[in-house]
Amino acid sequence: MHGEYKTPGGKLVVVDFDVHDGTIVDPMVSGDFFLYPEESLDQIVGSLVGLSVDTSEEQITQVVANAVPDGTELLGFSPEAIAIAVRRGLA
Amino acid sequence: MSRTEQHYPREADARWRDYEWEIIPTSPMHPAMNIALDEVLTRRVGAGERRPTLRFWGWDSPVIVIGRFQSVRNEVQIENAAEHGVQVVRRITGGGAMFTLPGLDITYSIYAPPDLVKGLSFPESYAFLDSWVVDTYRELSIDAWYAPLNDITSSGGKIGGAAQARRFGAVLHHTMTSYDMDPKLMMQVLRIGMEKLSDKGLRSADKRVGPLRQQTNLPREAFFHALTERFMDLTGGELGEISNLEHQAAVELVRSKFATEEWTYLLP
Repeated sequence: MHGEYKTPGGKLVVVDFDVHDGTIVDPMVSGDFFLYPEESLDQIVGSLVGLSVDTSEEQITQVVANAVPDGTELLGFSPEAIAIAVRRGLA
Repeated sequence: MSRTEQHYPREADARWRDYEWEIIPTSPMHPAMNIALDEVLTRRVGAGERRPTLRFWGWDSPVIVIGRFQSVRNEVQIENAAEHGVQVVRRITGGGAMFTLPGLDITYSIYAPPDLVKGLSFPESYAFLDSWVVDTYRELSIDAWYAPLNDITSSGGKIGGAAQARRFGAVLHHTMTSYDMDPKLMMQVLRIGMEKLSDKGLRSADKRVGPLRQQTNLPREAFFHALTERFMDLTGGELGEISNLEHQAAVELVRSKFATEEWTYLLP
């Protein structure tokens, strides 16, 4: 599955993943965004693993937001942008 | 094109003179060496082993430089790139893919102590660190300005993009601008989806770009000369060079990291 979302005036977020038994597996989050520190991407990606394909955009936003470590700077994108890309990939 | 300009507190300009700067002119290098030197010089400045530095880049071969968080297959038409001898390298900063041929770009890195951008927001720091470049382009009659978050653009289209990393105790800020381009080849080797262009109001990616050559009769060397002069005026800095030790450290990083499939395909 492949979903893309460009934050208006911001950056592109791409989420690639597979679906197995109704859940998200092997997600990859990529794009031309900026993220400090870069290691925070691992936590963001990890939060998508095992999510049900029925998870709503709002719920995904919350899950990703909770996974972003304190002090992380997301520039040009957001947990919501990732959630939109995931939902587009599932659509 | 609608003009949205990004600003920063002008009083920050005085900070450039708080440091003794070194300016390293360009020489053509292997793409992975350029990326490796960014890490080496950022580490050296962060450790206080080198003065704050401006380095101009040169390429010895066609290259696509992708951002730290980009997927190779989402950004590059890999078979076309290989066919045209275009190497793909992944840099240590975020941001988007850039394609250039040797001698067609003007690319530079700034390696600075974090205090240079202290108190500035991230968007302000981008505009601040490239302000002398925008001023130089304007001086050379290019109608340029800084567009949020990280673009240098103009009434003739986008000129270039910047990216930062805050690592190893220093700020790395590099900006790749386009002197001239091969839009046909660019569209063959890059993959630019409609979603990426969704808020630009333009149909094709090559129409977004406005390299300097389309807007001026000045040779590329005139830009290097003007940029170097302006940075020296701004900072009081002087010309320097990459040391043997730094060169060796970069060669080692190319071997162990930047030329490896593991790094390039970190996000496949």
